[in-house]
Amino acid sequence: MAFAWRASGLTYNRYLAVAARVVRRSLKEGPRLQAERRGEMELRFAKWENGKQGENKSLAQENASSMAEHASEGQK
Amino acid sequence: MLTRAVRPALNAGVAASVRPVTAHAANYATLREIEQRLKSIKNIEKITKTMKIVASTKLTRAQKAMTESRTYGQTSNTVFEKAETKPLEDENKKTLIVVASSDKGLCGGIHSGLTRATRRMLEEKPNSDIVVLGEKSKAQLSRSNSKNIVLSFAGVGKDVPTFADAQAIADQISLLPTDYGDIQIMYNRFVNQTSYVPTPLEAFSEEAIANSPQFAQFEIDDEVLSNLREYALANSLYWALAEGHACEQSARRNAMDNASKNAGDMINKFQILYNRTRQAVITGELVEIITGASASEE
Repeated sequence: MAFAWRASGLTYNRYLAVAARVVRRSLKEGPRLQAERRGEMELRFAKWENGKQGENKSLAQENASSMAEHASEGQK
Repeated sequence: MLTRAVRPALNAGVAASVRPVTAHAANYATLREIEQRLKSIKNIEKITKTMKIVASTKLTRAQKAMTESRTYGQTSNTVFEKAETKPLEDENKKTLIVVASSDKGLCGGIHSGLTRATRRMLEEKPNSDIVVLGEKSKAQLSRSNSKNIVLSFAGVGKDVPTFADAQAIADQISLLPTDYGDIQIMYNRFVNQTSYVPTPLEAFSEEAIANSPQFAQFEIDDEVLSNLREYALANSLYWALAEGHACEQSARRNAMDNASKNAGDMINKFQILYNRTRQAVITGELVEIITGASASEE
């Protein structure tokens, strides 16, 4: 059982998040605004190496790019 | 007001009385100093009172989110309970400790409690890696165990944590290069309004799930297993974040309540001191005037 989204490098959580976003966006105006607030994520993160903190990056962008990387690895 | 009217005269009197006797002024605060101190304490009391009200309103929302997330996380963990999953006892595999704190302080000792519990855990397993959620514990842990930290997240705890937060964190954790034997999520368990216990929450690795004794009772394909693991990690993280958030708000409410009470006590004390000093200064001045008058009469 192979999943198309897994082949394109998405994790299950990412897949769920995208699906949830689609459902939220298809809601009516009133409930939609409320629901979209639940999907917001503004975290930043940093990688640490040898006890030093790396650069602070936006988590959403980094997740997207690292998954794109995984996708290209999968196709090789 | 009386104080306003009296002040110019007082200032002159105080200035005159302070300058010649400096030793006297050192252990006896001037009226003006007391007044300034009193004013700043009153301002602080106002601020802490407002923060307490803000925290109380946020607390009700946070508690609602907590009870919801708790059922969510517990339901998700039922699978592992029924499968009797146990963490892998493999010495070669590293443990990952996720510390669910937040960015904001002014909420008593809940962050340092969490940090202390993490350090104790690190003493048992010095080879573990740490992922820190939130700036507060990051600052504390980076001082003592900076070598163990692999990831840190900022921006936690601005609002009630969303599941999207937990998912994004879980993704980044599962993308880590090292293969971890098990993942411990440290969070503050909400016991009641005044007590929180730093507790580890177990999130299992794929191998641990596959090796669990009752695993055969579930029909899980090998491919889906990693999905289950990722999803369970996100669920547990969400639970930990929401419960930690509720603890933080409640702790902040208590801390601000105490601060307001202490400020109130100090205000009372200083008000009395202020009144006493004011009277003493007036009496002193009267004595000076009377002695002056009687001296010039003669």
